Amino acid sequence: MSSSTASLYLDPQIRDWVLFPITLVMILVGVLRHYVVILLQSPPKKQSLEAIREQRALIRSQVLRSTSANSPAPQQFYTSISRHLTQAFVAGAYLKDGPPKGDAPTPPNPMDPAAMDGMMAGMKTQMVMMVPQMVIMGWINFFFQGFVLIKLPFPLTLGFKSMLQRGIETPDMDVRWVSSLSWYFLNFFGLNGLYHLILGDNNAADSSRDMTASPFAAAGAASPSAPQDFNKLFKSEIDNLAFSQGLYSWVGADVEDRVLNKYGKLLPE
Amino acid sequence: MAPSLSLDTALQRLATYRTNNTRASQETFDQGCLILKSGSKTKHGDDVWAFLEQLALASIDVGRLDIADECIRQLVDKFPKSPRMDALTGIRMEASVSTDIVLQNYKELLDADPTNIAVWKRRISVLRRIGKIDLAVEELSKLLDTFYTDTEGWLELADIYTSCNQYTHALEALSHALILAPQNPFTALQFAETAYTAGDVPLALKMFLVVIDMIEHDVPPDDPPKGIRIRAWYGVKHCSRQLVAAEKYAQSASGTVVAPLEKLRLIEELATERVLAAYEGQKPGAGLCQYGWHPADHKI
Repeated sequence: MSSSTASLYLDPQIRDWVLFPITLVMILVGVLRHYVVILLQSPPKKQSLEAIREQRALIRSQVLRSTSANSPAPQQFYTSISRHLTQAFVAGAYLKDGPPKGDAPTPPNPMDPAAMDGMMAGMKTQMVMMVPQMVIMGWINFFFQGFVLIKLPFPLTLGFKSMLQRGIETPDMDVRWVSSLSWYFLNFFGLNGLYHLILGDNNAADSSRDMTASPFAAAGAASPSAPQDFNKLFKSEIDNLAFSQGLYSWVGADVEDRVLNKYGKLLPE
Repeated sequence: MAPSLSLDTALQRLATYRTNNTRASQETFDQGCLILKSGSKTKHGDDVWAFLEQLALASIDVGRLDIADECIRQLVDKFPKSPRMDALTGIRMEASVSTDIVLQNYKELLDADPTNIAVWKRRISVLRRIGKIDLAVEELSKLLDTFYTDTEGWLELADIYTSCNQYTHALEALSHALILAPQNPFTALQFAETAYTAGDVPLALKMFLVVIDMIEHDVPPDDPPKGIRIRAWYGVKHCSRQLVAAEKYAQSASGTVVAPLEKLRLIEELATERVLAAYEGQKPGAGLCQYGWHPADHKI
């Protein structure tokens, strides 16, 4: 007979000695993880002056273009800045290694020291995240196996039985009665809110970040940023500059009419 | 000595000075000393470091190097290897040590870390102060080539050029500052006044009108002008008067086209009206009377 409606009576000592300790341990380990990650973080690598200049060169033309339709700079000045930038982009004057020699594009070097450091940092953080998880899961499996801990307040399908009731071989028991490992998983996902409260927004104990980040993501994130092909970016910016030049209009072009109109000194017809 | 305000009010006022970049050094020094003597550093949180830096700068300004040393000592204990601290220590050195040693110090710091903008700027300002203008301009141009978005740097470059009467270069530097901060009427006003000084009257007129247009956007037409508006209207008056009076002023080095004569006349009329409206109801010389000048003493 199925005991889906009968409710089990659990020893209150289970609550005192399993439920609260698991939660407490997980909170403390999360906080510990957060501080360990902060300690392990190395300061951002210093970039050379040429590298900074290369990175920021695009900003110059973006700044010029952003106000081109209603530009405060008079025509002659705007044109001279635009022309200077175009020439510099064509000649590759902003590239950190100097103007490109010949036509062969250099492939991005995967062993580039900057990218390597990025990947190392990413992997270190991954390790710090994963090791405590494994340890706690092992601890729970060892000590808290074979009994029912809590009753979930929401119903679940039978498919979850094998995962949530591991160690308790009863084919008839309601899936809502789960073992301590599932309490661990509940805490794992649920304590993010608590970490946000105690550790602030940018905390390293956030498990949602572990889920999205994987070893592939760490390697993938490092490579696009380091050997970006600035030469190509500069070349495409030349077209943008030409387009903005066409769009250019000085804010002082009709300013007399605007001011006169405002004060009602309309022009004689 | 300033009247003793409560410590919190003093701290708040100093924080406002920091946000507005005000350089009221004597007042900062007076109030800052009170806070420093009260000795309750720990309960002011992280603001205390910014406050100590502000007090150090104000003390150097008024000449009390002992207080400055005390502040810097506390800051260096807390932040031993910070670029900002290097710049502050450099400023303290500039106050008492010969410029050769100061420049040598800055050179060493920059060799160790070429991206230390604060120290670089200090070096440029020292070079300008001792008269090595071309070196200062070269360094500043290099800095701005890398760190383009530094509006303060562009304004300083324009200032250096203007002081050497190189108005075209000054206008170029100001145009960079203008596109970086297009909503700032003071930059546009500086541009207009530089253009006027350079002799490009049509460009100056246009830019003065641009300033007016920018700041009088939501101001009713019969509101008497105050502050920067008076200066802009005064500039409009000067330029339009010259353009109406003689053809030769219409020559523009930047190729700015002059409006037709009738419009110029209307603009001049409007500018006269506006400048007079600013001083409406005041007797001539009223502003000078507060300095002890009396019209009856001077038979004009």
